Amino acid sequence: MSSTWVIAQKELLDLRRDRLFAVLIAFLAVATLISVGVAAASFRTQLDAYNLYVQQLAASGSTTVPAAPQLFPLQLLRGGVEYLEILGALFAIVLGYGTVAKEKYRGTLQLLLSRPVGRFAIPAGKVLGLAVVWFIVVALLTVTTTVAILVIGNAPLQGIDIARILIAAVVAWLYLLFWSALAIGITALSHRLSTGLIVAIVVWLVFVLIIPQIGDTMDPDNQVPGGLFATLQIQKPDELKVLANFAVFDSIRNGLEVSSITKHFERLSFAFLGIKDKYNQQPLGLVWADMWGYAITLAAAILASVTFAVGFTTRRNLQRKIS
Amino acid sequence: MTKSAIATDNLSKSYGSGVALDALSLAVGIGEVFGLLGHNGAGKTTTVNVLTTLLEPTRGNAEVAGHSVTADAMGVRAAIGYLPENVQFYDNLTLMENLRFFARLSGLRRPDQRIHDVLRILDFEGHDRQRVGTFSKGMRQRVGIAQAILHSPSVLFLDEPTSGLDPEGVRTLRETIVRLNAEFGMTIFMNTHLLSEVTKTCTSIGILRNGKLVHQDTLARTLADFPGEESLEEIYFRLESGHVS
Repeated sequence: MSSTWVIAQKELLDLRRDRLFAVLIAFLAVATLISVGVAAASFRTQLDAYNLYVQQLAASGSTTVPAAPQLFPLQLLRGGVEYLEILGALFAIVLGYGTVAKEKYRGTLQLLLSRPVGRFAIPAGKVLGLAVVWFIVVALLTVTTTVAILVIGNAPLQGIDIARILIAAVVAWLYLLFWSALAIGITALSHRLSTGLIVAIVVWLVFVLIIPQIGDTMDPDNQVPGGLFATLQIQKPDELKVLANFAVFDSIRNGLEVSSITKHFERLSFAFLGIKDKYNQQPLGLVWADMWGYAITLAAAILASVTFAVGFTTRRNLQRKIS
Repeated sequence: MTKSAIATDNLSKSYGSGVALDALSLAVGIGEVFGLLGHNGAGKTTTVNVLTTLLEPTRGNAEVAGHSVTADAMGVRAAIGYLPENVQFYDNLTLMENLRFFARLSGLRRPDQRIHDVLRILDFEGHDRQRVGTFSKGMRQRVGIAQAILHSPSVLFLDEPTSGLDPEGVRTLRETIVRLNAEFGMTIFMNTHLLSEVTKTCTSIGILRNGKLVHQDTLARTLADFPGEESLEEIYFRLESGHVS
């Protein structure tokens, strides 16, 4: 059994009995389930309003039947994706920070470093442990939200829907692993533990909240509820013509958004789940053709994050306080 | 270098402009129980940290169990056991889980039988399923010894092993050290403040002052060389202060 796997197993065992971890994951699960419930309730309200409208039309003698609102079950996952991209990333940072910080402040680091383990075994073991943890957490969240769609949303799922959910789950797993690995590297590099946590949270603040928020604010679709062009009843071809006059503005907005790993996660998830209307009910091949660039960037970011964690969590960095 | 269990050659360690270890050259023979004495800040813990490869020396070299601390740190780590001062464990894990973890990191593939054997040697059976977080200081110290000897190291480093222990804990630990040395032939290198314990357990001693080794000899010869002194404490203060005629 390699030292890396031994350390990963210890992390799993330790986290399994960690109350903070249990509370964070329970909170994430409950928030995700509530978001499915709220989205389902919102759809039911739309449906009730539609039925009432149809009844009133019939009562008034009209034979016109307007198109019924359509339920796309995977769109019920929008809130869950948003919770994962914000809260999930924050929790991933807390866990990544904890795996290094706990070794330092509880004083087990010296014992660990006195063992004949290879240069990369400790950070690689910690990253591997968290990868397994997040795999289990995402798998549990996937199962619970899928059941929630079926039970709370009362919406049928096809085989292709399950495939879309699984793709989104893999993207979520990689996204959470990115933040945990980043936090491991930052904490190992920091002279003080508190500095490590603060720096990691500032990075989270900038790339998860501030940059996406600026991008969203600049997006005409977010200027008014329902979207600026839709509200003004401007058709798509005309909208594109108008936007052509603001190409530089739109490039800056898009450039800002894609500088955030969170936006990559969001765009990939929204595309494959069909939450973004453009990709709703579209074949997976078509979605992939549009989104592969985001997938490659996300994969590169995770590779960089893991390399950063493994490369900088050195003995020297870890034992700065040992003299 | 000689075929000592531990041999250092002009070993130095500096932190910026501060010198923690200054050209330390000492030798500890195989099977000895060596006590390194010195005031706080004399460089005792730095010595142990360098010898256990937790710190890299600034200059010089040391060999532990035949492995260089600079050129073959992994070899040193595989050959030694180490009990740090105020040893801590993973509190959420049970005694067995903690020991299994450290045993596997030391290369034991199926460590359970060995763990039970070590716990029997230390007279510490019956706590396997208890979480280490619930243990007293004395119990933790015994777990510390257990994790240090699981892989049958040839050299055991103990950094202030009696620190924070009550008199019963001190006695139990002393008996354990003597037994590990006598029955298993382990070379033991310990830092300590308790001179009474040195008298009862060590076969040789060294005294550090401001990072320099000011005395090294067997305990018997040291005591014989100062016939006028009543105790090791008196001898220590004379050697440490440099007032030796």
